[in-house]
Amino acid sequence: MRINPNPTPDLLAALARVQQDEQSAMLELTTGRRVNKPSDDPTASAVLVQNQDQSEQTAQYLKSLTNLRGQLQTADATLNSMVVALQRAITLGVEGATGTLSNANRASLADELSGIQDQLLSLANLSFQGQFLFAGTATRTRPFIADDASPSGVRYDGNSGVNAVEVGDGFLLPINKPGSQLFAAAGKNVFQATHDLIQAMQTGAGIDAAAAQVRQTLDYLSGQRVFFGNTVNQMDAQQTFLNSQKLELSQQETSLAGSDMASAVSRMVNAQNARDASLAAMGRATQTTLFDYLK
Amino acid sequence: MSGLYGSLTVALSALRVEQGAMEAAANNVANVNTHGFSRLRPVIVPGEPVVVGSLSFGTGVVLERMQSLRDPILELRLHEETQQQGYTNAIVDGMRQVEVMFSSTGSDLGSSITKFFNSLNQLSTDPGSTPLRQSVLTAAGNLTDAFRNGSKNLDTLKSNLDLDVQQTVDQVNVLTAQIAKLNAQIADLENVHEDASAFIDQQTQLIRNLSGLIDVSVVQTEQGLSLTTSGGTALVTSNRNFVLDSQLGVDGVHHVVASGADITTELSAGKLAGLIAVRDQKIPGLDADLDQLAVGLSTSLNAAHHAGFDVNGTPGGDFFVPPASSGAGAASTMAVAITDPDLLAASSDGSSGSNGNVIKLAAVHDQAIVSGQTPIDFFSHMTFQVGSDIANGQSELEASGIVLRQLEDQRASISGVSLDEEAANLVLYQRAYQAAARVITTVNEMLDTVMNLGR
Repeated sequence: MRINPNPTPDLLAALARVQQDEQSAMLELTTGRRVNKPSDDPTASAVLVQNQDQSEQTAQYLKSLTNLRGQLQTADATLNSMVVALQRAITLGVEGATGTLSNANRASLADELSGIQDQLLSLANLSFQGQFLFAGTATRTRPFIADDASPSGVRYDGNSGVNAVEVGDGFLLPINKPGSQLFAAAGKNVFQATHDLIQAMQTGAGIDAAAAQVRQTLDYLSGQRVFFGNTVNQMDAQQTFLNSQKLELSQQETSLAGSDMASAVSRMVNAQNARDASLAAMGRATQTTLFDYLK
Repeated sequence: MSGLYGSLTVALSALRVEQGAMEAAANNVANVNTHGFSRLRPVIVPGEPVVVGSLSFGTGVVLERMQSLRDPILELRLHEETQQQGYTNAIVDGMRQVEVMFSSTGSDLGSSITKFFNSLNQLSTDPGSTPLRQSVLTAAGNLTDAFRNGSKNLDTLKSNLDLDVQQTVDQVNVLTAQIAKLNAQIADLENVHEDASAFIDQQTQLIRNLSGLIDVSVVQTEQGLSLTTSGGTALVTSNRNFVLDSQLGVDGVHHVVASGADITTELSAGKLAGLIAVRDQKIPGLDADLDQLAVGLSTSLNAAHHAGFDVNGTPGGDFFVPPASSGAGAASTMAVAITDPDLLAASSDGSSGSNGNVIKLAAVHDQAIVSGQTPIDFFSHMTFQVGSDIANGQSELEASGIVLRQLEDQRASISGVSLDEEAANLVLYQRAYQAAARVITTVNEMLDTVMNLGR
């Protein structure tokens, strides 16, 4: 059988192939990535699009959690201050109810109580980064206004809106409680209770009952405060979860697109050897013909 | 025809034939590196014998013709494989340029979608903040830019391919003209029984080149080769070639027209068909996908936006300029409808601190708004399509490259010039020539003897 007398094109084609292999191994080693464009691995590329979206979204959730933390901690601390103030009010009420006090003494207690009420009002109107924390979603409106027309002496101008922020896929975390629910709930109105105690103190009648009412609102408010503590705890837990998810996503990305260094190195070495062999073959092939031996 | 003079004539014929054979060897050696050359073999036959009485005398040797060694069936297979390679090559080349759009760069479409929804999540933590509202509008602007750029890139690519189609049609015409001319030259030579193998080699090579461009069927007729496309459109008959024309169609791209008939969709192989496949199918398909995604996002986000209230408590208007109901051109015209961050309808209850509607806008990220898929899943699917088109094309190219090499090997084993073989032939011819010359010398001596008989 006659064979192809000119092997050069075959050798050149083989050389081109090993050079291509060498280049792709080199690219993988220098970039550290196996998938640099969709055609490198279409399936992995498609998953990578989703992976990238998810990991950026996870980073955003973490960022949002950091942003919210200050707000929730401030709200929690504010409620704590209010609880302390109410405790002081109860102490004053107990003191005023002993019956051995003069009118003047009770009047000075009443003065201190109205100081506490002012303090409560200012705490309830606390703003964080320019937003009122306890105005529901009407965060640009000062929620509690001193108003003599109101039975408690304080009027609520906020609303009952609640905001929730997505801090995980489909995980909506409520981040506020409206002031109406916290401080102005029916029967547990902080301002009504302190207002009533001041009046009782001034008249000297029903101080016990009024102080008991303040205690009830205090208990209620402490209960409400749990929400903020819980939310901060949930945020901590979510942060841990998101961080581990971030790690998982980046591991997935590496396994999808990352270079397998050992295999890339061995492919490059193989390609180099193959190239050397091809070149050696080309150097030897077709050098001598019968013409060289005819004298 | 016997006697010494007869022997002289016989020896002379041998000298002539060996010289002719030597010429063939010389020609083969000269063309050892000529691409597409088919080696020549002298066809040597004995001269017709002369019968005198009961004796039959040979009349020497005749160089009947030069045979050009080629396998026409193999050439046809090479043409076919070249057509397939031209087609796949054009598709891979075209899609490679599309692929750039789908490589993750941080400003690609997928990243822009992600960043837009992330800006909404950021806003939800502080819905009244003007800088955060502004950053949502900026991210929305980047998103529309990504759509418009994507659509523009596809348009540019499409018009480049269109230009390539026109140039390829011109190349086809040049080649068919040359092939038709060679048909005439081959016929001229063959009519007078001359060797046309050099022209046939040239023609075969031109048909190979043509095969890279268009799907050619070769039919051998009395008047030489006839070329048609596989759809039956005549390209070359006898010494005539039929010019293909590229005409601008109503769809804004050039159509391939053969004597008045539009054959654009009939072409099935070769570079031309590959260019047309990318230009008329792949790119419009991606364009339609982009439009669909743009419509899905604009429409769903607008619907969500309408449900909310802006900073002033006014119900939200359009977030994005509403796309045409047909959806055509939605990506290329996608634009944000609001410029004032206050008009972003973040609130669900009318108060400026509510983020309820931001949550609704952000939820579009996870909603099946484009052919039953979320925006990212849809984009991910597009990425897969583009990547797999190229990857499949590449493995096809690799496979057809191997087949081509094998066919070329086979062809060379039949038609290729081997220097060893030629060297051996040269020795043979030289020896035969020397022997014939020796016969002449001997006859001459014998004649000399005859001449001197009378002395």
